[in-house]
Amino acid sequence: MRNAPRTALKLGSVAAAAALLLTACSSSDGGDSGASGDAITDEQREEALNTPTELTFWTWVPDIQNEVDLFEEAYPAISVTVENVGQGAEHYQKLRSALEAGQGAPDVAQMEYQYISSFVLSEALLDLEPYGADEISGDFVEWAWNQVSPGDETWGIPQDVGPMGNLYREDILAEAGIDEAPATWDDYADAAQAVKDETGSYISNVGATQAGQMIGFMWQAGAKPFGYDGAETVSINVNGTEAKQVADYWTELIQADLISTDVDFNDEWYQGLANGKYAGWLTAAWGPIFLQGTAESTSGLWRAAPLPQWSAGEQVSGNWGGSSDAVLATSENPIAAYELAKFINHDEESALRLATEQFLFPPQLSVLEDPAFAGQQLEFYGGQEVNALFAEISETVDTDFEWLPFMDFVYSSYEETVGTVIAAKGDISAALDEWQTELTEYAEAQGFTVE
Amino acid sequence: MSHAPALDDERPTAAAPQKRRVSANQRKLNRAAYLFITPFFVIFVAMLIVPLGYAGYLSLFESRLIGGETFAGFANYVRALQDPDFLASIGRMALFFVVQVPIMLGLALFFALALDSGRARGSKGARLLIFMPYAVPAVVATLMWGYLYGPDFGPIAQIARSVGFGTPDFLSPENILGSMMNIVTWEFVGYNMIILYAALRAIPSELYEAAEIDGAGQFRTAWSVKIPAIRSAILLTVIFSIIGTFQLFNEPSLLNTIAPDAITNSFTPNYYAYNLAFINQELNYAAAIAFLLGLVIAIVSYVVQLNEQRRARKERSGA
Amino acid sequence: MTDLETRAAVTVGAKGGRRSPFGRGAATARRFAPERRRNWMLTVLLWLCVLYFILPLWWLLVSSTKDNSALFSTFGLWFGGELSLWENLQTLFTIRGGIFTRWLLNTVLYAGVSAVGATLLAAAAGYAFAKYRFPGSAALFSIILGAIMIPLTALALPTYLLFSRAGLTDTPWAIIIPSLVSPFGVYLMRVYAADAVPDSMIEAARVDGAGEFRIFWQVGLRLLGPGLVTVFLFSLVATWNNYFLPLIMLNSSDLYPITVGLAQLQSAASAGGGSQALFSTVITGSFVSILPLVIAFLFLQRYWQSGLATGGVKG
Repeated sequence: MRNAPRTALKLGSVAAAAALLLTACSSSDGGDSGASGDAITDEQREEALNTPTELTFWTWVPDIQNEVDLFEEAYPAISVTVENVGQGAEHYQKLRSALEAGQGAPDVAQMEYQYISSFVLSEALLDLEPYGADEISGDFVEWAWNQVSPGDETWGIPQDVGPMGNLYREDILAEAGIDEAPATWDDYADAAQAVKDETGSYISNVGATQAGQMIGFMWQAGAKPFGYDGAETVSINVNGTEAKQVADYWTELIQADLISTDVDFNDEWYQGLANGKYAGWLTAAWGPIFLQGTAESTSGLWRAAPLPQWSAGEQVSGNWGGSSDAVLATSENPIAAYELAKFINHDEESALRLATEQFLFPPQLSVLEDPAFAGQQLEFYGGQEVNALFAEISETVDTDFEWLPFMDFVYSSYEETVGTVIAAKGDISAALDEWQTELTEYAEAQGFTVE
Repeated sequence: MSHAPALDDERPTAAAPQKRRVSANQRKLNRAAYLFITPFFVIFVAMLIVPLGYAGYLSLFESRLIGGETFAGFANYVRALQDPDFLASIGRMALFFVVQVPIMLGLALFFALALDSGRARGSKGARLLIFMPYAVPAVVATLMWGYLYGPDFGPIAQIARSVGFGTPDFLSPENILGSMMNIVTWEFVGYNMIILYAALRAIPSELYEAAEIDGAGQFRTAWSVKIPAIRSAILLTVIFSIIGTFQLFNEPSLLNTIAPDAITNSFTPNYYAYNLAFINQELNYAAAIAFLLGLVIAIVSYVVQLNEQRRARKERSGA
Repeated sequence: MTDLETRAAVTVGAKGGRRSPFGRGAATARRFAPERRRNWMLTVLLWLCVLYFILPLWWLLVSSTKDNSALFSTFGLWFGGELSLWENLQTLFTIRGGIFTRWLLNTVLYAGVSAVGATLLAAAAGYAFAKYRFPGSAALFSIILGAIMIPLTALALPTYLLFSRAGLTDTPWAIIIPSLVSPFGVYLMRVYAADAVPDSMIEAARVDGAGEFRIFWQVGLRLLGPGLVTVFLFSLVATWNNYFLPLIMLNSSDLYPITVGLAQLQSAASAGGGSQALFSTVITGSFVSILPLVIAFLFLQRYWQSGLATGGVKG
């Protein structure tokens, strides 16, 4: 036994050294077709797009092969392998493992906005500015572009977004004597009471461990819980005034048993939507189609409206979800990879198909304005033009919301500190303080300067 | 006496010449023996020892998102020993071990004895059916029980409501450990039963036939003849259960998707190590946790074995 | 509970002298049927317990015949709604270009190759430990036993990094090679070989001039038969049911085994993925995925039964 570990240790250090070397190499020859900083010339682009190239694309968007086919048609020299390595957290774990190992990472990867900075931190993403990203920045809604380009660099091309709105059962609300979607949060609380009293339903459900939704509410309320300067300084303020306002609001409704706190996206919750246990769902722009597939039996009974507001007359929303496509710094074909990421989300046909076939809610202005998209009347919502509504909402999303470069931890910590409290119908404000402490401690232990 | 497994089995059967002098013949035999174990050992070393050594090496470093990797000596181990989450997870598993393992092994032993006695009808079928859950992947088992536990549509809740018991909340933070114990019990009773049953079948039949002729009843035969005879097999199942318990991973990880508020990140030590490595990105600390966990398992197994040996010795001298 | 009762009863009986713990009843019965007599109480008790083990599987069978809406609107343990088994199977085997079949075949390949390999390696090593006394054997054997205690999950990332170095990640080898190591198999084979292969037979073969390898191959393996089946089955199940290793090692969904594939379908079901609700598909997939192993156990039952029986006679 004694000898084994020593050999292993030697082997281990060799491996580690090799890993370092490899990473060093690959990141330096990542720019073989153009050193970073210098813009790519048209000739370089021509050449890259006409050289037989193989790209790997990791994404969990269903049927994205359709859009990739369009790309391959346009650029026959390039062949793309699409891999679904898992959804959300699993996807990022695999990406990190592959990056750590120095091989096996894809050229292009789907990346939710909140995860971008953690990959920027490990220098895993390619700055797309030199490849021409700035030229297309104006074609996307501003806040979405800010998400992929918080500073001078651009780390991805926006694919879809999730501005938040309110989906509700018109029939149940009517039964409770409510004819219009509540305009303010105060109205919403009154409506919640009425719905509970008259029909026994909850006006909606707040997923106990659903950080995305809660952060979306905070976003709407104008909270700035996170900040990152792109280097070593982060700011953490998850228990600020606005955040606590949101927390107290929900604490009150939850404790009055007017809002349920079931874990969302599992089968029981789906059924709650289908059988009227919940009379609504405060969700993002990807929600309407999702709901349509889940609660078929209630078709025609749903309506969509903007989120209730904190002050009457305002129109503000937050965002929940959505992602971009980023190019990995380790890609050996950065130009082609950039063109793929760009094509999927910027080519008119491809972007429109993403919106109308895969039902991703578009950040592309051209699609938002396209009658083929905005004019869709959904029977499930009584013929309402739901897309047009969410396109309007999209304009009202606060434009500079930032994230921390370690969102995996932020979410898991949320589950532990806030999620458990919501599930137990406790005081969410107090839980935010605890969350704040955990996040600050982690950030400091990781060597960040916390503001 | 029997070839029932014995962990403290330290006797390599002597087929080799008795003289200690290394003869040419002996050398030839040694070479053959080494050749026999080489294929296994090559892969064993590559797949277990090398990663283990690498992990051990990693555990001596500290890596931060900012500032990179620095040598830390045993700092990670010191931290782990003061980490309330880690200690709580070990405690939770100790509770699991104390409650679930006796139930599981008790059931397994009961079934093994019942089947071995040949006094129950359809015992062949029963054996197969009890063993069947072992063939079900943990992924499927957890998915299934997740549905069965469901508060609204789960059949258990449906039945409980219809007889007026209200809705049992299997997935609440208070009950989730018990629910997990049930899943693990369901999965592994059959496996342990088969080990014990095999050991029972290996008891020389004269041994208990003699007891039966003696007039001892079934239960007494079981208690004073059969159980002592398969003691080492029981010990084996206990050791396996220690390892299995402290290494629980699949069940908490899969239950987390349906009950994220009940399954904390550090619900089991192994799940904690995984989350540290992949969520918190503290790979080095995770490696240290893994090592300590291995140590805990080794210590618990050792203590159990020691106890058993002492008892066996006492009984032998008492007899 | 029942076990505790048994124990109590047995202890009392033992202390009370020779009489059977159940007193006259049992003693009288014995006179009528001196050989093996059935005990109805035991039978009922045993089969009640069996219910506990098969009800979840029954639920799985029943549920795989339901569509999404029946899944949530009918009683779980009985059929209800329209019989949708066929539709479910169709969806299952056509979804994402019929990838489910691929996953099944992958699992069969990984589990089959690993189990055969692991069994052979374990047999050779266990046989050597049982039948040879060579320098270092005790130490090597305890290292193997110690290795059972390593929590492999926690070694996932180091293992992944080393594998990646060797270019093995995202290949079938990443699943098969680690599954070849079965310390428990070695242990089992050693214990088994110690008794099942008589030294005298080996000596006789040596006298006949057979080489060590030939002795193992022709004499040893044959006598180890039932033990081999046991190790094979346990290795088969271990690889078949492995979730964590392939989850970490594989990126191409074409290479997934059924466990990882199902888990991915399940998470796609939960996340909605556009407008598809896949619950009934996942359940049907789960049901289909356990069928091969169940059938394997039924089919191989004769072998492990005979193996167990042989063990009984031999002892």
